[in-house]
Amino acid sequence: MGANKTGWKYIWHRMRSIPTAHAAFWTILFLLSIAILSALGVHFSPYTYYDTDTSMQMMLIGPCREHWMGTDELGRDMFSRIIYGSQLSISIGITTAVVAFFIGTIYGSIAGFCGGKVDSLLMRGVDIAYALPDLLVMILIGVLIGRGTSGILIALGLVSWMGTARLVRAQFLQLQHEEFVEAARAAGQSSLLIVTKHLLPNALGPIIVALTFTVPSAILSESTLSFIGLGLSPPACSWGTLASDGWRSLRTHPHLIFFPSLFIFITVLSFNFLGDGLRDALDPRTRLNFGKLQKTE
Amino acid sequence: MLTMILRRIVLAIPVLWIVASLTFILVRIVPGGPFESEKALPPEIVANLKAKYHLDRPWPEQYVMYMGRLAQGDLGLSYKYIGRTVNDILADAFPVSLQLGVAGLSLALLVGVPLGTIAAVKRGTAGDYMSMFVSTAGISVPSFVVGACLIFIFGIWLRILPVALWESGRHMILPAITLAVSPAAYIARLTRASVMEILEKDWVRTARSKGLSEQLTILKHVLRNALVPIVTVLGPLTAFLITGSFVVEFIYAIPGMGRFFITAVGNRDYDLIMGTTLVFAVLIIIANTVVDIIYLILDPRIQVD
Repeated sequence: MGANKTGWKYIWHRMRSIPTAHAAFWTILFLLSIAILSALGVHFSPYTYYDTDTSMQMMLIGPCREHWMGTDELGRDMFSRIIYGSQLSISIGITTAVVAFFIGTIYGSIAGFCGGKVDSLLMRGVDIAYALPDLLVMILIGVLIGRGTSGILIALGLVSWMGTARLVRAQFLQLQHEEFVEAARAAGQSSLLIVTKHLLPNALGPIIVALTFTVPSAILSESTLSFIGLGLSPPACSWGTLASDGWRSLRTHPHLIFFPSLFIFITVLSFNFLGDGLRDALDPRTRLNFGKLQKTE
Repeated sequence: MLTMILRRIVLAIPVLWIVASLTFILVRIVPGGPFESEKALPPEIVANLKAKYHLDRPWPEQYVMYMGRLAQGDLGLSYKYIGRTVNDILADAFPVSLQLGVAGLSLALLVGVPLGTIAAVKRGTAGDYMSMFVSTAGISVPSFVVGACLIFIFGIWLRILPVALWESGRHMILPAITLAVSPAAYIARLTRASVMEILEKDWVRTARSKGLSEQLTILKHVLRNALVPIVTVLGPLTAFLITGSFVVEFIYAIPGMGRFFITAVGNRDYDLIMGTTLVFAVLIIIANTVVDIIYLILDPRIQVD
């Protein structure tokens, strides 16, 4: 990491003083560890996500002591399915952010570092890509590549990098004229070194904020796509496909759509609060008016 | 301003041509064709069908034919809604989506702008935190969840509002709310940030110190300037509403363009996919032009070239 340790400690300290961001941080850590642990084979309930129990009294039951979140039409335990679905939903969100980071940073770096004609050409491309409705593009790309997880990931990656690219470019244009960059240039450092050693580390804060917002929007897009039947489809199991399944029995068994929706909402909300908090914490101009920090300032 | 609009129209033609060409290629390289449904048709019938819609010709020939017809405003035939032209379908579906979109956008602006302004003016109070919490929740909730909740409460539980189709004003209420939730929340967040920035400007201090009432200061000096960034997002917001309409029209079984687009993609109904995509593209171009016009009105200093 570029910024020094005290820098990150300071940001953490500032962020902790924002209650929503602080709570969001721990919620995300909690959800993340559940998803990782379940992927590693830890069981959180006596049921598996695929075991069916089609005896009459075990199908489509509402929340009860044995099945916290009820069962679906095949008698599968919803709690186990949601835990299992978290693996796919959260990893899709994070993978998209990583893809957006790489494409956006490389694209934005080239535009911001080269400037001039290259810059205006590249940014015109971003403008056009930005104007298209995400879902429209994702549906068209999704049908092209196929509706598996990889298809969704490619589609999400392709619509998610523009924001990061714009941001990196803007940061670079601003940083270009800083003294330390001119000093590095005067010292004869190569362009690549200037970008990776001087420009990127200093632009890292806003990039991280942007990526924090990429995760929830990817989770939302995936669940929306799966919901309208153009995203993942069973046997793939994400919160989106679970909600989509539950939609059909909204009238009779609302618990089937309620719980997956709740998890989508809490996860997305947490990431949005974390992103807001990080942005405020990284911006030295914001005075944080909450409890602790106000006293120390 | 007139030259600007004219220039935009001229510039729109190559953009639409690129969109049409890309979609043309895209739908054709997608695996599966329009006549490969679950029920396998006899090969002779498929061959006949393909011949009828000229799908047996090589792509370049199809492309030239399509572009020729497109130049005359003919969007082709639907393969699934037999006997209907794409122009027909869109003529029916477009007004529906437009009503939904306008209702959603107006609702979003009516809720979002005041909410954000109040939050900014009452900065740091419980009301501010409350409205920011609500609007963060608003951008975090998928629209199908909003839809499901509204249908459950008003349609199934209270039974006071219709939950499907598009027949009367009452049918519009739930879909419009569903569509408006995330844009409203988004606008509220944006307005708050924008108003907060403007509140610190010198001219606001001047307005206050000359004894102008707080309401008038906000209305006359703050909002007019704070609206510029909000107008900027009207372009992306149109794209956002189109995306939203896919879900809302799907949930409420509304016969609008979003719903036709989704079914057309599923059916590989090439001409219908292309027709809807082109209409969406035109809408976005119009939205962006309107944004530039409003810009000129709000801030005469801005030069649109």
